[in-house]
Amino acid sequence: MDCSGEHNPSSTSPPHTGTTIVAVTYAGGVVIGADSRVSTGNYISNRASDKITPLTDRVYLLRSGSASDTQAVSDYVRYFTEQHESQLQRPALVKTVAGMIRSMNYQYKHLVGAMIVAGWDAAGGPQVYGCPIGGTLSKESWTTDGSGSTYIWGYLDEEFREGMTRSEAEDLVATALELAMARDGSSGGVVRLVTITEKGAERRLIKPEEHPVLWDELPTPLGVVV
Amino acid sequence: MASATGGFNFDLVERNELLQKRGMQGPGFTKTGTTIAGIIFKDGIVLGADTRSTSGSTVADKNCEKIHFIAPNIYCCGAGTAADTENVTGMVSSQLELHRYGTNRESRVVTALTLLKSHLFKYQGHVSAALVLGGVDFKGPHLFTIYPHGSTDSLPYCTMGSGSLNAMSVFESGFRDDMDQASAVELVTRAIRAGVYNDLGSGSNVDICVIKRGSVEYLRNHQYLQGKTYERAHPMVIKSGNAPVVAERRFDVAQYVEVGPAPEAMELS
Amino acid sequence: MVVTPDHLTLQPRVIFEYNGSAIIAMAGKECVAIASDLRFGVQLQTLATDHKKVYKIHDQLFLGLSGLASDAETLSQRFKFKHTLYKLREERDIKPSAFAQLVSATLYEKRFGPYFCQPVIAGLEPDGTPYLCGMDSIGAIETAKDFMIAGTASDALLGICESLWRPDMGPEELFEVTAEALLSGQGRDCLAGWGAVVYVITKDQIIARQLKERTV
Repeated sequence: MDCSGEHNPSSTSPPHTGTTIVAVTYAGGVVIGADSRVSTGNYISNRASDKITPLTDRVYLLRSGSASDTQAVSDYVRYFTEQHESQLQRPALVKTVAGMIRSMNYQYKHLVGAMIVAGWDAAGGPQVYGCPIGGTLSKESWTTDGSGSTYIWGYLDEEFREGMTRSEAEDLVATALELAMARDGSSGGVVRLVTITEKGAERRLIKPEEHPVLWDELPTPLGVVV
Repeated sequence: MASATGGFNFDLVERNELLQKRGMQGPGFTKTGTTIAGIIFKDGIVLGADTRSTSGSTVADKNCEKIHFIAPNIYCCGAGTAADTENVTGMVSSQLELHRYGTNRESRVVTALTLLKSHLFKYQGHVSAALVLGGVDFKGPHLFTIYPHGSTDSLPYCTMGSGSLNAMSVFESGFRDDMDQASAVELVTRAIRAGVYNDLGSGSNVDICVIKRGSVEYLRNHQYLQGKTYERAHPMVIKSGNAPVVAERRFDVAQYVEVGPAPEAMELS
Repeated sequence: MVVTPDHLTLQPRVIFEYNGSAIIAMAGKECVAIASDLRFGVQLQTLATDHKKVYKIHDQLFLGLSGLASDAETLSQRFKFKHTLYKLREERDIKPSAFAQLVSATLYEKRFGPYFCQPVIAGLEPDGTPYLCGMDSIGAIETAKDFMIAGTASDALLGICESLWRPDMGPEELFEVTAEALLSGQGRDCLAGWGAVVYVITKDQIIARQLKERTV
């Protein structure tokens, strides 16, 4: 018998990035965003994690699904990409990197990782690729994944426009994540944004107190005097 | 017979599965239902652990060591199956020692991290070691948690094991950036104590390890909380000849012979 | 004896309870004792009453093996073999602490298909200090400075050892305490008993004694 209790990470389900991830293209680049919650069963084992993993200077990976599987995949693909770049002596194409993620997912079917590859390259400009479980790859102008994505597909369908400005795109991604985090129990924490352009990648952090959007939109419990 | 290659041996798996199919329950292993924790402070890392190891509902060891040596500048707390934490840290420790020998450079915490996580990922969670890895290298202090399936987190304060929730609640209320050493040790001790007192899988004493640039203080039993609760005032003394002996044999096994002073040299002339 | 229906089924619930055993090792002042019961049985049927579970590795090092008897037999032979090789290579006896690492590594190699054995190691280090340790079936070492127990009677043995053990016992007192603890403990276990053997190891003597016990 293991009397170590039900919360022991060694005896309960492995960490899952029950997540919301969003990637959106705009006129000059891509904006990608993620929440920061990692849960082990019902316990939040990391409330400030970084699910936006750099693969090259201008290609990033958004991870959702099994934490260990997606970390292993990103470590391998970063290593492959580094070799690829040093062989070709030029930055890897977003499509190439996304293809590597896809083939990992296809070859190793037991992997539980719904991922998004996004970035910028000289050949194709800003690009977003969805890499869901099983080994498919689909080029999109925007996409979202993770458990929280179900709550924001409609919102993104409605609000996305081709050729947005950078700040419009950043606002869209941030708001979508905030909406998802408000409804999805396994998404939460802070909003992390990365904007990738020709010049490189820039990070932004939006703390919970900085996105008050939804406080007054959720109904006030009955009997509470505000 | 003896394998020269290392790694696991699966010879008995088939037999054991057959026995299990016939309704024989396999053995339980020694677990460390544990509270382990670590934080980053101004000058480095503080790691902490309780000292209970359990086998079923029995306390197997009341004062075991859960903070394992990885390298002179890196230590690692282990929770989960005792044999797994012991062996996985031992393996990585010796790999790093050889690496240092080959490179003449101090080990880096991320190297230890990668070795640990790739081993655990390879075994898909069957090697059940949940670790808190901490150390200081030329890039500064580093603290990581590693889950049995091979995923890792990097945080300024972290906890693991069955008492992790108790310890984390202490950290969440008491952690501040850039603490000094005394208050960092105090905070980690309080976190472990929260596990010792409130989690049944954790218990006994608090071990602490402070790692700074160029120095390590391993404070074994930093707080000795649960010594023997009572000592017999008049311990039972069993007199000689009490046991019902039916046969006795004695074997002289003295290994050393007394040698007297050397005799004087013979006159040869 | 009243037998519950549970015991009538041929299958034991736990593999460690197929044969049954009781093993104690205790540390004294510059001496150690290691003892086991003598019963060999298959579940509740006793087949032999002269089955020692303690094996001599060398004059200053003994190994107790509890659990499935067939695995204990196999392991004892493997460890004898490994020690013989060690001796041929090193031209000396293995230190108890080093031997413990050897046992641990041997068991952990079979992490995913273990031997159903829990070893207890007792010996004297070259400087005469006692060395005691126990392990689970996959080699997690647990060192102790007082006593170590293993076998189906371990729950009963634990309490009595905790009560009787005192620091710095001489060989004679150590023998009496070990014998008393073992006989009291195994008296409450259906799967262990039929007398015992106790070995007291000192720097220059091994004292082996057989104890009688009424079990029926």
